[in-house]
Amino acid sequence: MINAATRAGIGLRILVALYLLLATPAARTWLEATMSGHMLVQIPLLAALGFIACRLLPEAWQETLLAAAGGPVPHVVVALFASTWWMLPRALDEALTHLPAEAAKFVSLPLLVGLPLALAWRRLGSIGRGFLWTNFISMLAVLGWLYIAAPVRVCNSYLVDQQESAGWLMVKLAVLLFAGWLASLFVGGHAECGASDITGAKAAGTLGRASPQNST
Amino acid sequence: MATYAYEHRPDHGAKAGVLAYLATSAAVLLLMMVFGLLMRLEQAQWISIGADRFYQLMTLHGAGMVGIAAIAGASVMWHFLRQYVDLSSRIFIANLVLFLAGVVMILASVLLGRFHGAWTFLFPLPGKSMGMWSADAAALFMGGLLVIGVGFLLLHLDVARAIVARYGNFARALGWPQLFGHDDGKAPPPTVVASAMVTIVNVIGLVVGASILTMMLVNLYVPGFDIDPLLAKGMIYFFGHVFINATIYMAVIAVYEILPRYTQRPWKSNKVFLASWTASTLMVLFIFPHHLLMDFAFPKWMLIMGHIIGYLNTVPILVVTGYGALMIVYRSGIRWDMASKLLFLSLFGWAAGAMPAFIDGTITVNYVMHNTLWVPGHFHTYLLLGMVTMVFGFMYYLGKPDHETDDRPIDRIAFWLFTSSVLGFTLSFLYSGKESVARRYAAHLPEWVPYDRIASVFAVLVIASALLFVGRFFARIGLARHDYQRAPLARAATA
Repeated sequence: MINAATRAGIGLRILVALYLLLATPAARTWLEATMSGHMLVQIPLLAALGFIACRLLPEAWQETLLAAAGGPVPHVVVALFASTWWMLPRALDEALTHLPAEAAKFVSLPLLVGLPLALAWRRLGSIGRGFLWTNFISMLAVLGWLYIAAPVRVCNSYLVDQQESAGWLMVKLAVLLFAGWLASLFVGGHAECGASDITGAKAAGTLGRASPQNST
Repeated sequence: MATYAYEHRPDHGAKAGVLAYLATSAAVLLLMMVFGLLMRLEQAQWISIGADRFYQLMTLHGAGMVGIAAIAGASVMWHFLRQYVDLSSRIFIANLVLFLAGVVMILASVLLGRFHGAWTFLFPLPGKSMGMWSADAAALFMGGLLVIGVGFLLLHLDVARAIVARYGNFARALGWPQLFGHDDGKAPPPTVVASAMVTIVNVIGLVVGASILTMMLVNLYVPGFDIDPLLAKGMIYFFGHVFINATIYMAVIAVYEILPRYTQRPWKSNKVFLASWTASTLMVLFIFPHHLLMDFAFPKWMLIMGHIIGYLNTVPILVVTGYGALMIVYRSGIRWDMASKLLFLSLFGWAAGAMPAFIDGTITVNYVMHNTLWVPGHFHTYLLLGMVTMVFGFMYYLGKPDHETDDRPIDRIAFWLFTSSVLGFTLSFLYSGKESVARRYAAHLPEWVPYDRIASVFAVLVIASALLFVGRFFARIGLARHDYQRAPLARAATA
């Protein structure tokens, strides 16, 4: 029987292998050949690797890291700023033409997007998570429109048809994510108790209780 | 087969937050009513404020009424829903704060920035003012709507959290196990079913609304990022129609919760009730194209969908609720007071208000009626005699001093004055529409003016009666916080 620590160790090794695989020239060339591959596959994968890796860390380490930066909100802010940077066309161009920028992408996406999001995620509560999801989905759709409607070629490295294709994929992805998120609200979970129990539990009965006017 | 018995539940007073929502709604409602009266007086040629001021008032009247309908509806939903699930007071207050911040932005954009592109902010009007307002004023207006939308999104996310925490998921909250399986009589109460429906549709509508508002804000300053006007109109109407529909679905919770207390009969979450709310959850998302029937460039299937679903969606909740109300009132020995009378009247207003929309949703009728005062006739009946009347009923209920207290004569007079003047006011709109009086015109042809004058007189009477309702609410606001029995026992229950 494999214990949790061993499972985490195996998981981390797999993630490192995937990370190294993404960093190989062949994988980079393949994924960065198209704007869609670059923006919608490579970048999210790097952030996801950081997210999953963080989840495999011991709970105590996660708590320490979370406390060190002041709780969930600063972590979300860091993740938002770092991910916003890699949505800029200029950042994509930089990554393709300058190795330090490419290296920064491979470091910042797991460490400054995936990891802080994973640390903050549980602490955000369902309202915070729902707000992030809905905000992300609407902004992904808007970003897609920006790429479709842009009057100019936004990246030196990609042609106009590629940015339009990436834009449409973002819009479709936003619709799919929204449908998936909504669908997730319809399944799973368990009721605390039946409706009759709820009403019964709440029924403390004020029938006939004196009104404030009568009682004064 | 499930059996349903009336089970008395405690009559909770309102939290301070609920009263703050209602006080805000009441104050803004009266102000917006006065703005509406000024518009009608301008059309009646009894005053002269000029076209610019008319459209500024029209923009404020539209945005303000939609906003306070949502705030008032949310207060009803929150007040009753918190008796079943654990809602956050902080989020509830945060929504009101964001709403007020948005209102300030909208007021500044209209009164200082002279924005008057209507609450529907249809693309490309906000960005093409021909020098009548600045891009900053348009941005302030749309930014205000965005801030209000963020507040409501937070509120609905909290409702979703609380419902999921209690019922596990939305399928259970909508009563699907009982709807599609054996009805064991343990379906969630109507309040939870309605709140779940409203949350689902409003979250979808708000995300779409936030998207188009952001797109238009980008386009405002960088016009090179062009927007397909038909796409923009579709997104705006999707968001706007869902949002305003949701207000009455929130407010009707007052009927589900309060009328049973007067009749000592349960409002049943039976299969028919559950089916109607599930059907409307879907249909309310697809009904908006009935506002686009004149846009021939829209795909034909969308227009046909708008036509068919416009017909279908009129039926489920309205018929089930109207029939349900008749059934629990019939031979119940109900003792009528202002709250129960207003709530019962609101169902008539809802039903009567839906009919002009049903007629206008027919493509051939729509071609000649949609840009006339027929459509304001529809939504004024639906909202004023339906939704707002539900809220007035809720206000009277909260402030009722004692379950045995009789209404004062002036309140009884105000009730009949309100009923008759709203009917006169809305029928003036509808008759004007029948006579092809164009809507959204500041200046009217001489032959239209008599209808405007009749409507103006009725509008004054509506405001007078609403003023009394609101005054009574504020006078009794101290009582509204206390827990005590408000509804008198029905004669059938005491016999």
